[in-house]
Amino acid sequence: MTAPQDDRPVLQISGYSLAYETPEGNVAALEDVTLDIRRGETHALVGESGSGKSSLAWAILRYLPPNARETAGQILLSGEDLRDKTQAQMEALRGRRIAMVFQDPSAALNPAMRLGDQIAEVFMRHRGMNRDEAWAAGQAALEHTGILHPDRIMRRYPHEASGGEKQRVVIATAFACNPELIVFDEPTTALDILTAQQILDLFLRLRAESGVAALYISHDLGLVGRIADRVSVIHNGRIVEAGPVHEVFSAPRADYTRDLMAAVPRPEMRIAVPDPDPAPPLLRVSGISVSYGGPGRIARMLGSKGQPFYGARDVGFDIRPGELLGLVGASGSGKSTMAQVISGLRDFEGEVAFGDRRFRARRAFDRDYRRAVQIVFQHPDASLNPRQTIGGILSRPLRLYGLVPRAQVPARVRELLETVLLPPEFAARYPHELSGGQKQRVAIARAFAAEPKLVICDEITAALDVSVQAAVARLLTGLQRRSGAACLFITHDLNLIRQLAHRIAVMQKGRLVDDFDVAEAESPARHPYTRALLEAVPLPAELQGVPAP
Amino acid sequence: MREILRNPAGLVGSVLLVIVLAAAVLGPFVAPYDPQQFHAASRLQGPSAAFWLGTDQYGRDLLSRLLNGAPATVLFGLGATALGVGAGSIIGVVAGVAGGRVDSVIMRVLDGLLAMPELLFTLLIVTFLGGGTSQAMLAVAVTFTPGMARIARSAVLSVRTRDYVQAAIARGESRAWIVGREVLPNALGPIIVEATIRVSFAIMIGATLGFLGLGAQPPSTEWGLMVAEARQFMFRNPWCVAVPGVAIAVTAMGFNLFGDALRDAFDPRRRRI
Repeated sequence: MTAPQDDRPVLQISGYSLAYETPEGNVAALEDVTLDIRRGETHALVGESGSGKSSLAWAILRYLPPNARETAGQILLSGEDLRDKTQAQMEALRGRRIAMVFQDPSAALNPAMRLGDQIAEVFMRHRGMNRDEAWAAGQAALEHTGILHPDRIMRRYPHEASGGEKQRVVIATAFACNPELIVFDEPTTALDILTAQQILDLFLRLRAESGVAALYISHDLGLVGRIADRVSVIHNGRIVEAGPVHEVFSAPRADYTRDLMAAVPRPEMRIAVPDPDPAPPLLRVSGISVSYGGPGRIARMLGSKGQPFYGARDVGFDIRPGELLGLVGASGSGKSTMAQVISGLRDFEGEVAFGDRRFRARRAFDRDYRRAVQIVFQHPDASLNPRQTIGGILSRPLRLYGLVPRAQVPARVRELLETVLLPPEFAARYPHELSGGQKQRVAIARAFAAEPKLVICDEITAALDVSVQAAVARLLTGLQRRSGAACLFITHDLNLIRQLAHRIAVMQKGRLVDDFDVAEAESPARHPYTRALLEAVPLPAELQGVPAP
Repeated sequence: MREILRNPAGLVGSVLLVIVLAAAVLGPFVAPYDPQQFHAASRLQGPSAAFWLGTDQYGRDLLSRLLNGAPATVLFGLGATALGVGAGSIIGVVAGVAGGRVDSVIMRVLDGLLAMPELLFTLLIVTFLGGGTSQAMLAVAVTFTPGMARIARSAVLSVRTRDYVQAAIARGESRAWIVGREVLPNALGPIIVEATIRVSFAIMIGATLGFLGLGAQPPSTEWGLMVAEARQFMFRNPWCVAVPGVAIAVTAMGFNLFGDALRDAFDPRRRRI
């Protein structure tokens, strides 16, 4: 390539505005967006949900919904305006000159096609190869991603491959035709911490080899700090700040960027309640096993030798009164299974001891136990009944357990709303009128309304934006301080749990592998899996030494 | 409701429904003639000032017959649907909530019933019960039950695993509360929508049975029967077949479009906050 061509940005967006037409009028999604990406450069686009970052990705790929109206600006790919391209021209362009890597590899791959056919398709479509050549090229591309046994993976269907393998296939497909630009839409969010780490390494290596320009969409500032050259911070459809990563992160100019930076959890900034006094455990689970899909009685009589799958196997830990125990692990490690066992939602083998009572089966849990142990779920959208008002939802535990006299229920509901920092008028609203963070506050208020001794928080911050996450975590510890309730906090965010927890238990493949005081997190005595987890998480310190506010 | 009227299909459906329901309620009172009165001098005539929609083979006024038949026809559709949807929903909710073996047994039996074509199954039941309007209605209701049970069950199943239901179980709520307050209100949408669409099928099956002589009996003014009776005179006066035929089509289309719009209005992805 000649020098002048190298100078021209691969992607040049200037003054681009986009609105969605709705019956209530046009809603602006992007306003006056300008950004350039040069060859070999990785440009990160950071923003919270609803900020317009995905709209921009779709606009670049010219795959907008019918009600989208582009009001101004240009999108130039190596100098050609993509807005002038016809449908057919775009189809020839996608995959060959622009590629995209999606968040969830299992949704991005066709479940009815072999992985090999899906890679080969790109070569056949854009390179005009025949099937055998394409298959061989696909295998070479896959081998290049460092996957073990590419020939075997090629013959598998998506459901037979792991999340990491699938994302490698998607990435191999994206890099297949040496495109000028690849758009990455949170490619590691749906993966485990350790797998995500490998995918990032792969991304860095392939980028260095191919010199592709990359637009990397993410909400994770720590991750962006590791991989990007430049960053644009997007808020409500506007780019509020842009520049080289180290400049933006070490001296953020926009207030919004500063807020985002401040919200990133830092293990050294503890927001936990003071360590509880030594006391006999409030809850002790021992020898808990949960199995799925074992052959039924009739199937066994017919000679089925199917082995059950264990969601949890021989797990034991205890929680002291007033303590916050963090339970961490990759997805599928059995964390949520344990939450379901303790809250009485899943049959189990083993023993749950609560105070001086012992339970050996799910049916043995009575209303007293269920009142004392409350659960908050991950998705606030799903955990509140859409047909009940917030007031109705919050008054239910009060009425069910007869905690306050009937006449005082509305007053107590208002009080509960105030304790989670929501206005009392919300009692008359329905869940869909609230934002995700507000809904999660309601779910927390519902759990604490029962005046529980133990609250199980199953990934309660995972579905929330960074800035909301911090507020919800603070709210939780505030409530804990006030009520003295213990908490089992399930999460995959190690930085957050190190801020919150007194002790941390680590699960891997259904077994408990480690259990330690939070102060000993960095001790060499940790289980190798714990160490791997801790090392895989980008520490906020990597944000180029930004001082904590 | 405003959501439905804003949708063009919903608007058309609603207008058609209003016309049909108005005819069903007011029809017998505004009809210009007695529906059974013979006008021997003017048989099989086209529309005229005296007979707006023409007359049939006995010289009976088609408009009067149509208006008098409206309550029977529409009630047949609504009644058969209500019975079928009621029975089907109860079975489906029981299967969905109970789960496990109860669910498997109920659903396998229903699968067996579903294997039979709808009209054949209705004919079988009517042959068994004998002809007549109420028998035909019962037959249609029975035919609808397995399909409705399936829809109700899947609606319940999709709600049953939601977190708010799990939260209710974890709270130690009674089964009646969980079904009545947490599951049913959220599962009702698809059931209601399917019911509206099924009204049009019921009317058409009713008309078919009438046409085959297995539903309403002469001299009833049920629309399907009107078509059947006038069939031989179709070439001498097409109006006596076309008028009740169009009426059936309009009613079916009204319920169908309304049901479609209702489904869109219930779909949260299309609903705005």
